[in-house]
Amino acid sequence: MRTIIEARNLDKRYKLGKNNFVHALRGASLEIAEGEMVAIMGPSGSGKSTVMHILGCLDRPDKGEVLLSGRRVDNVRSRELNRIRSKEIGFIFQGFNLVTTLTALENVALAAEYAGTSRKEALRKAKEALLKVGLGNRANHLPTELSGGQQQRVAIARALVNSPAVIMGDEPTGDLDTATSDEIVEMMREINVTTGTTFILVTHNPEVAGACDRTIHMRDGLVEKNVTNDIVMEALA
Amino acid sequence: MRILRNVFKRKLRAFLTIFGITIGVFALVVMGAMAEKITLLVDGGTRWVSDKVVISAGDPMGGVSNSPLSVDTIQQVEKVKGVARASASVSVTLEEKQSGVQMGMPNLITGTDLRGDDYESFKVTYADGRALKEGELGKAVVGANLVDKLDAEVGKDITLRGERFEVVGILEKTLTAPDNEVTVPISDAQLFFHKTLPPVVRAQVDPEKLATGLTAYVKKGYEPDSVAKEIDKEVDGITAMGPKAFKEQVTNSTQIFTSIIFGIALISLLVGGLSVINTMTMSVAERTREIGIRKAIGASDGNVVRQFLAESGTIGLIGGLVGLAIGALFVFLANSAGNEAGTTLFLITSWLAVGSVAFALLLGIASGVYPSWHAARLNPVEALRYE
Repeated sequence: MRTIIEARNLDKRYKLGKNNFVHALRGASLEIAEGEMVAIMGPSGSGKSTVMHILGCLDRPDKGEVLLSGRRVDNVRSRELNRIRSKEIGFIFQGFNLVTTLTALENVALAAEYAGTSRKEALRKAKEALLKVGLGNRANHLPTELSGGQQQRVAIARALVNSPAVIMGDEPTGDLDTATSDEIVEMMREINVTTGTTFILVTHNPEVAGACDRTIHMRDGLVEKNVTNDIVMEALA
Repeated sequence: MRILRNVFKRKLRAFLTIFGITIGVFALVVMGAMAEKITLLVDGGTRWVSDKVVISAGDPMGGVSNSPLSVDTIQQVEKVKGVARASASVSVTLEEKQSGVQMGMPNLITGTDLRGDDYESFKVTYADGRALKEGELGKAVVGANLVDKLDAEVGKDITLRGERFEVVGILEKTLTAPDNEVTVPISDAQLFFHKTLPPVVRAQVDPEKLATGLTAYVKKGYEPDSVAKEIDKEVDGITAMGPKAFKEQVTNSTQIFTSIIFGIALISLLVGGLSVINTMTMSVAERTREIGIRKAIGASDGNVVRQFLAESGTIGLIGGLVGLAIGALFVFLANSAGNEAGTTLFLITSWLAVGSVAFALLLGIASGVYPSWHAARLNPVEALRYE
């Protein structure tokens, strides 16, 4: 299978104060194949969110390389990073992170507009995306009028609207109850299987990890283990 | 619509900020309308005098000179090279006793000898009736602003300083001095003026010799300002002013006034602008996480800047439109009240209306520059973590 994302020896420090640093990544390397659904797990401070931000072109590493579809993205200009974020990567967040003054339809269309689509076309694509996640009848509702599960489905639709190669999820089920959480994971899995979109999910939830093809374990800024799903399930059992 | 939802997310704060701009625009519109009216009157006066020489006995202020001239001075003036014709005029205030302070153009009773009619380039038109005819007495032509005050109607009588006059004509609006004048035959005006003189002087002066001003009409090919200088040199006891000197004198006195009133208005508008900066800065701080989301889903720095500039511009635009509406209403009411006294102090021109709203819009946008620049510079990762 073709490698879609590759990270080589990523190093990243965050400055917290005058002489106070957090060494979030200490040379982490990983590879993700096209069409995979991969979970990244680890204790707090392991660097999993940092690695997701860097893979998702939200941040740059201090050292190391990131390749997306074979080309380096860690050293490109901000404008190009922006373009990559808008067209090739979708994001789903723990707190849904919808814009509260926009309807579900407008939230989804926003991502399309940022990718350069005209407003009319963006709304059409947004409607299609909402239908895919089963929220066609909630298009004109504000986020405050939707349940947690519905909001996360809008977020998934938003992540999908530009047909990205990769969707990154940062604790996508963190704020949901078990039943809703299962629904969301099942939806993501279905999208992964039917469209071939690669999913990278940062999660604390072993059941979410269990639904993925592979789990990458991180600790202290490094990749500790890289296990396929059946090994994880056996370990849980 | 999305912009409006963002602007009015915090309704009270939005209304208060818009109100700040509204007050500024209201002040600009009202003060500007006052300045526009003054400018129009000055322009009208300047146009009237553009091809003639104004002659008076004292130091003219473009209004009523209390020092009398003799009509015989006309012969001396007409001898000056470059003068085609001279005519005499007499002006007195409409009321014998002026009540309070009169703003704007004074209301006058004016009489001219009609000698300069064929040379006069400033033509008036009549809403009703006709002009005065040579030789007639006890007739009046009423300026547009005095119609209501005098209850004037063609064919009906009006009372001027206790005397009855038949209205033969009502002028169309000229937007300058004639709007506030009642024109009567010069003989009637001379009698009015004669009565204003101290008794000792009155006894020794023939009313038919009296004038408060002369107008010298200039021959083709002669420069009015040069002719004015010649008249000053050759005729004693008078002051002659050409168009340039007239314009300078009038413009000097009005410019300071206009600058002050515009300055006051602009200051109040700038204060409104500061409140927009404050509101937008607070808005960016509160929406840090939202900015992080937008950047995460692909918003460029340009997208973020444009969004916040659009919001601050919208605040300016709404404030401008509301301020203009309230200012226009105030001007309408003030002019309606002033009409009864024959005084309209305000004039909203189209450039003032469009200009004040455009200025409010630009001020709103300019006030959003710093907050939107700050928003665009936010690191998306840090912004997403912001609580």
